[in-house]
Amino acid sequence: MATVKKTLFIGMILIILIAAAVVGFFVYLDKAFPKVRCEAAKHPTTPEAISDCVACHAKVTPMLVQDWKDSKHGALLVKCVVCHGEPDGKGSIPFAAKPGAKEICARCHEPAMNRMVEKLGELKDCETCHPRHQNSLHRSAFEATTAASNTEP
Amino acid sequence: MTFSRREFLKGTAAGIALSVLAGPAMAAQQNNSEAEKWVKGVCRYCGTGCGILVGVKGGKAVAVKGDPNNHNQGLLCLKGAMLIPVIYATDRLLKPMIRKGGKADKLTEVSWDEALDFAAARFKKVLAENGPGAIAYYGSGQALTEESYVANKIWKGGLKSNNVDGNPRLCMASAVAGYTTTFGKDEPLGTYGDIDAASCFFIIGSNTSEAHPVLFQRIAKRKESSSKVKVIVVDPRRTNTSRIADVHVTFKPGTDLALLNGMAHVIIKEELDNARFYGKYCNFMKGNDAVTFDEYKKFLEDYTPEKVEAITGVPAATTVKIAKMFAESPGTISLWCMGINQRFKGVWANNLLHNLHLLTGQIGRPGATPLSLTGQPNACGGVRDVGALAHLLPGGRVVENDAHRKEMEELWQLPPGTIAPKMGRHTIALYEGMISRDVKAVFIHCTNPAHTLPNLNKLTKGLETAFVAITECFKTAETLKYADVVFPDAFWCEKEGVYGCTERRYSLIEQAIKPSGEARPAVDILMEFGKRVGVDPKLIPYKNSADIWDEWRQISAKSVYNFSGITRARLKKESGIKWPCPTEQHPGTNLRYVRDEDPMVPKDHPDKMFFYGKPDGKAVIFLRPYEPPFEPADAEYPFVLTTGRVIDHWHTATMTGTVPELKKAYPGAYVEVNPEDAKKLHIANGDMVVLETRRDKMTFPARVTDTCMPGLVFTPFFDQKLLVNKLFHDAADPISKEPEYKICATKVYKA
Repeated sequence: MATVKKTLFIGMILIILIAAAVVGFFVYLDKAFPKVRCEAAKHPTTPEAISDCVACHAKVTPMLVQDWKDSKHGALLVKCVVCHGEPDGKGSIPFAAKPGAKEICARCHEPAMNRMVEKLGELKDCETCHPRHQNSLHRSAFEATTAASNTEP
Repeated sequence: MTFSRREFLKGTAAGIALSVLAGPAMAAQQNNSEAEKWVKGVCRYCGTGCGILVGVKGGKAVAVKGDPNNHNQGLLCLKGAMLIPVIYATDRLLKPMIRKGGKADKLTEVSWDEALDFAAARFKKVLAENGPGAIAYYGSGQALTEESYVANKIWKGGLKSNNVDGNPRLCMASAVAGYTTTFGKDEPLGTYGDIDAASCFFIIGSNTSEAHPVLFQRIAKRKESSSKVKVIVVDPRRTNTSRIADVHVTFKPGTDLALLNGMAHVIIKEELDNARFYGKYCNFMKGNDAVTFDEYKKFLEDYTPEKVEAITGVPAATTVKIAKMFAESPGTISLWCMGINQRFKGVWANNLLHNLHLLTGQIGRPGATPLSLTGQPNACGGVRDVGALAHLLPGGRVVENDAHRKEMEELWQLPPGTIAPKMGRHTIALYEGMISRDVKAVFIHCTNPAHTLPNLNKLTKGLETAFVAITECFKTAETLKYADVVFPDAFWCEKEGVYGCTERRYSLIEQAIKPSGEARPAVDILMEFGKRVGVDPKLIPYKNSADIWDEWRQISAKSVYNFSGITRARLKKESGIKWPCPTEQHPGTNLRYVRDEDPMVPKDHPDKMFFYGKPDGKAVIFLRPYEPPFEPADAEYPFVLTTGRVIDHWHTATMTGTVPELKKAYPGAYVEVNPEDAKKLHIANGDMVVLETRRDKMTFPARVTDTCMPGLVFTPFFDQKLLVNKLFHDAADPISKEPEYKICATKVYKA
């Protein structure tokens, strides 16, 4: 009897420890890698801070910035403000977290958009098929080659 | 300042009142879904010359999008995509202004008549007292073709002054002389279409990614199509262009002539040369003297890869590698820009690039061509083709050629001997002429020399005393400080005219909206001014810019630039046509000097290629030795300073500075310092750093980055407060007279 109680007790302790470890693991994950890391609760308004989207977003939404950097838009220096406008709304295009296809994408991609409509009919948006920021320039063509500088050690 | 009711209403339209009421300036916002109609045009900024459609609603420009039918296939870069706020900027000049009481007086707003008479009276006085050599026109590669054509005709044909030059002297002159000396005629052989067919890109002295973004996209797209497409970038800075490079080669700044000769050495030694091609189509020359192939080969012995390594710092193996890539690819295209042109030996550097193509036969096929990138949207079409430079006449003719002058006198219906036989003052000589008071009155159009000339402290001295009339769109232009008369020019889509870009393509900018305020199209200003100075009205009888185009189109038929088939009606229908184009049915030319492609080559010509600009129809492979830059780094000034563009700004930022997004991306100049150098000099990112050259010194915030190689520092030139050109010398290429902006010696230390 005593041994059963003891086994149960140890079992309980183990379960609690495992549960604590699992919960702790997820709490840690949540704290260490939040989906959005908010250092500045909202967009800054001073001209100096407003100019450098990437500097802040590299910390706040690092995945997004990395995706952009690897994307065609990143390689070709189509910067954040070109599609999103300025957060203070005083720029040359209205500020939008999700830029509209007809208002923004069409400025450059209208021929491609027309081809898509011809092929697939009227479409709700672009990003269902072309996830934003994730259109990498290099694809397989670049896998075997990397730029190397002869000044590198 | 007081406003009349009418002006106030106009001001409201321009957003001035809005900014007064709402506090900080808010840019005119774009909205593509609002446009009622789309008007075809060309982007206002760089030499790429992207087709653009301007969306108009209720007489206002409200949106832009790329023209799907032009070469850019609908794409725009970030500057082009945000053009609307520039039109409605509060910095726009809306009324003519004069300084009645001399330079010390303030600019006051006057009527058009008063301003035009004021300028004309002064020019007339100078003409009467000092002759045609004392007046000058300083134009621009951003002016419309019709504007440059009329100005050229007024000055050279009407006022008998060959003092017609312009800012293309500062950016394109070496490319012009390079093409002319090697092939006999100016302007590239190939087109942008060659990018889609090339399998090796040799990019030297060009930050294509930031200076020609849409072309860079096209190169990247080509690269993406196959892993066999290779990109070589040769640049002492590792810019964003190198991001798609297979090989990035850095070298000691200013030593690229040795590298190019070294590549030629490898090509011949490894027998990658195309003897059949150059045997048939090329002469070898040292200056003006013909030499043999063997002499050329012997000359190249000074440029073995090992000797090149000693001069340039490029490992011998790298020289061999890139020479092989260049020669062995199925089609190699060279792209270069100011890194080659703005050099003390810029023409030679251009010749050496052409040499590589002629030696290997990488020329005259789709994807194989030497293609010089232009900096400005209409330097090729408007200034080079029109001949609005001191030594040129329209259609590739030169002033100091009796037959050419006679031809132009006949075409312009002038009495024989009207055009002065001596060439005018090139840019540096022009501003030096103002300092020495030999040039007393200058008409500056569509450019900002007080910001863009080299060695500004010296060369702007003349503007302080000479009479300066200027047509300009923006109040922020530095040159306004020296202006005696300011004519507000209609901006971009407020007027109609032709732009001709890098690839010999002429596209029409159609008028989308009315000019802001009292601004007038510059062709009107130039013609009114010309008539008041005393030019025979019969010489400039045009009702509008379409009339001018028609005359120029017909005149072109008498030259190998023949584009008489590019009518105004065709330009309205089609998004750009590439000359030569001799008939209205002709589709335009892709491969120049090639039989069955170029209509200027007779159909029955015995050879496939014919360099008709040369007396014997042969191109030239030049023996051009390496020479160091004018002012290399030394013990006293140990760093090399170079300058250039950033993608967000264009030239002096009078336009891009009005777009909040672009302005804030780069509010001011900075200096790039390599981390190695920064460590030695104890400079941290953001520290204030002094650049001190033999001319001047200036303080910049530091950007510590490995973009520049050790020993090199870079600063962009757009900043209106820090005029970095004060730091540079004004020594120019002896042939092209283009100054060496890209290299000077500097000290670097912490402020």
